[in-house]
Amino acid sequence: MTESESEPGAVKQRRTTRVTGLQAGVILALVAVAAGAFFEVRPPEAYGICMACHGRDLINWSANRLAESRLTVAPASLVFPLLTVVGVLIGAWIAAVASGEFRWRRPRKPLKNFVYGMLVMNAALLAAGCSIRLLLRTSAGDMLGAAGFTAMAIGVVLATFWLRRRALQ
Amino acid sequence: MTVAAIASLVGGIVIGFVGQRSRMCFVGGIRDWILVRDTFLLKGLVAFGLVAWIAFPLSSLVGGAPVGEFGRPDMTALFLTAAGGLGVGYVSVLANGCPFRQHVLAAQGAGSSFVYLAGFFSGAIVFHTIASPAILTILP
Repeated sequence: MTESESEPGAVKQRRTTRVTGLQAGVILALVAVAAGAFFEVRPPEAYGICMACHGRDLINWSANRLAESRLTVAPASLVFPLLTVVGVLIGAWIAAVASGEFRWRRPRKPLKNFVYGMLVMNAALLAAGCSIRLLLRTSAGDMLGAAGFTAMAIGVVLATFWLRRRALQ
Repeated sequence: MTVAAIASLVGGIVIGFVGQRSRMCFVGGIRDWILVRDTFLLKGLVAFGLVAWIAFPLSSLVGGAPVGEFGRPDMTALFLTAAGGLGVGYVSVLANGCPFRQHVLAAQGAGSSFVYLAGFFSGAIVFHTIASPAILTILP
């Protein structure tokens, strides 16, 4: 508001919806629970949102169709794969374009990011859940999920201290 | 089953939109709190856990499918899940965001996140063709 007032010649600011982290957490939790309870995104249990598992389902289902391979797909994605990943990309793209935040930026360290992505996917499939589903399983009362989430939190703390140490040196 | 696909597409659009507007990240909350004592994302993480914890029993009260039993985990599963979780947390912080945040960043045009997603999706094939069989042969 003050930005547009202070710069009279600036482009008129677009009306954008602001969402706080707290509100986002509530909405994501409701979507995740509703998907499992009312829209057949199961089994396995507590499968409402998982960026890793749903992405795996989509990729493996497509590979099985195209190359007649027999890669693992969750029961919920056997007939037709879950499209959470596609939905998130579309939804975030709409939000970015609507708020004027869409901008192409060249990757700075492509190889590093590629390896990070591969490592996170492998770790997430080993734990049977990305950071979101580990917390979702914990909330659903899964002991394994709680163990995975605790380990994830420890990993985050370790990596943060490592980053800070490296930055301070 | 196609109900699930359509529902996940619509749900994905909703959470993608919300995720872009809020910069929500599921590892960023803990990281930001340690580094600068910022609780913006941490509140989201805690809210997600609490709301899901309440909404699971509530949804079965109003006719939703109840959550099944999980059973007692054995030590091997516990160890593998903990190892995977540790990896997710550690590498996600190095990569500057959880998988969800990387999808949102890629949709905003961030090239680094596009490359990350390329590695992410090829990682699924790598896991099921190389990593998973390798782990199964090592295990007793």
